[in-house]
Amino acid sequence: MSARASTPTLAAFAAPGAIVFGLFFLLPVCAVLVGALADGGSAFGRLTADPVFWNGLRGTLVLGTVAPLFSLVVGFCVALTLSRLAPGLRTAALIAISLPLTFSGLIVAYGFILLLGRSGFVTLLLAELGFDPAVTGAFIFSPLGLGLAYSYYLVPRVVLIVLPAISNFDRNQLTAARSLGASGARALVDVMLPQIMPSLVAAFCLTSAVAVGAYGTALALVGTQVNILPLVLYSKVSETGTDLPAASAASLVLVAICALVVSIGEIVGRGRKARG
Amino acid sequence: MTLRYENVSFTYPGASSGVFDISLEIGRGELLAIIGASGSGKSTILKLLAGFVKPDRGRILIEGAEVSALPPEARRLGVVFQSYALFPHMRLWENVAYPLKVRGVKKEARRAQAVEMLRRVGMDMRADDLPAALSGGQQQRVALARALVFEPRGLLLDEPLSALDAGLRVEMRDEILRVQRSAGIATLLVTHDQEEALSIADKVAVMREGRLIQLGTPRELYETPVNASVASFVGQSNLWPGKIAGAGLVETAIGPLACETHGRSPGESVIVFVRPERVEPVDAAGMAEGPGSFSGQAAADRYLGPIRRIDLMVAGGLIRLETHQREPVTAVSIPRDAVRLLPAD
Repeated sequence: MSARASTPTLAAFAAPGAIVFGLFFLLPVCAVLVGALADGGSAFGRLTADPVFWNGLRGTLVLGTVAPLFSLVVGFCVALTLSRLAPGLRTAALIAISLPLTFSGLIVAYGFILLLGRSGFVTLLLAELGFDPAVTGAFIFSPLGLGLAYSYYLVPRVVLIVLPAISNFDRNQLTAARSLGASGARALVDVMLPQIMPSLVAAFCLTSAVAVGAYGTALALVGTQVNILPLVLYSKVSETGTDLPAASAASLVLVAICALVVSIGEIVGRGRKARG
Repeated sequence: MTLRYENVSFTYPGASSGVFDISLEIGRGELLAIIGASGSGKSTILKLLAGFVKPDRGRILIEGAEVSALPPEARRLGVVFQSYALFPHMRLWENVAYPLKVRGVKKEARRAQAVEMLRRVGMDMRADDLPAALSGGQQQRVALARALVFEPRGLLLDEPLSALDAGLRVEMRDEILRVQRSAGIATLLVTHDQEEALSIADKVAVMREGRLIQLGTPRELYETPVNASVASFVGQSNLWPGKIAGAGLVETAIGPLACETHGRSPGESVIVFVRPERVEPVDAAGMAEGPGSFSGQAAADRYLGPIRRIDLMVAGGLIRLETHQREPVTAVSIPRDAVRLLPAD
């Protein structure tokens, strides 16, 4: 008896996914592509001739690398700690850690402004200790501050992806490495990291794609003071200087960056699985 | 190369379990086995020596130098784990070479040493394989090679054979002994398998509830256990509560037995201990009357290949015996020198 479902059954199961993919990915991308080519492709020329675009691209790549890397380090440490907790406590902690994922980027930005803005709770507290509020209050509106705000909802994503890999890791291997002469840190690097690397790469790529495309938090925190592609895109559709074909072209660049990052993650992950 | 525990105590945080006042010494080339039931503290003894936990009191010494406060990586001890703990992403030679790598040995030199060590355990032909391609016994050999390649000051084996099937266990037991003897290294073996301990150890320590209750050669442990607990844990035994009936005689529920009473007073409570193989089947018709002679019916008769293990139901209780005899057994004799008296606790 064959356990394989018939082709019509498989097609029926695949249909909802295919419809969602077509309606909410292929169709919008095609529409954007058509929009970008509306004036004969000159939008790409205008975009690449604009130094603001290149600054935005640079800013996006830096933010899309540094914030995920920082989140990866923090998320890995959190996941390592969670994996050592009793199951009940771990579940409770996971629920609390996942909470930021339910907030919109705008709410996260306002939360950070309330905490670290010029009149923020932490800023005022630091002012009591003698720190200049003009300096400490400006931090959250800087590129570094934006990276910190991004990490607020990137870290939970890292934890959720990395925790299963760490939990399934046989800790006896670390003990064995220690007994063979490796320090705790070296055992972690030589023995644990290579084995959980696929999940680390996946976590980095996913959070990088999220950071590259994030818009609400950036707009609320830094307006257009920090050059990143989503804000360049915003400026192309704002009332002051609308250029819809150029905005479409910028959108395609963003989609291409995200697709590239996720593809690299998939290739690295699959390559390691195939070797393992 | 000696390994020594001096009055070592350790209690797990938030629990009352641990080990208490342990003193042991393992000499150069000596193999000491620690046996005991689950939770008796035998694995804790190994963890203390390996440095995975630190003693609350007492000292641990390697070659006369105190190491109680040193981390595991500074103790230079080879450990073989129950689960082998091979690194699945490294090839066999890389696994074996790992201790050399952390010590800064150059790649070519460490590969050569690792392959030579793999040759000693018969695994050099698989040097470039990954651990997942190996059977349990083969992984065990590689784990042993990895634990010995850096010339450790001691070898610690934590239930190394418990994951193997019975046939392979005997083969690997001999293999471990051969490699340990050729390395001439002080070795601590933790096992719950008393047969394994008796067959390869120079000395055996029996643990119970965190305390060392007897330390001796396998023969001493088997033939002169210090109490009923050791007697019942090490091998099969008959244990009957009894009272001294007079000089050279002890009264038990199954009847009187002649024995050496070592000046004990009449009426004193004891545990009477007889190994099953010391119980002799006799012809019921010609059986002599008197202490040590019993007749009855077999309540259980287990065929174990070369021997049979029989529980003979006699008036007052059961007598367990082991015999090569193939005929039915209805009468037995317990010789005077087979009977030992243990404290009644």
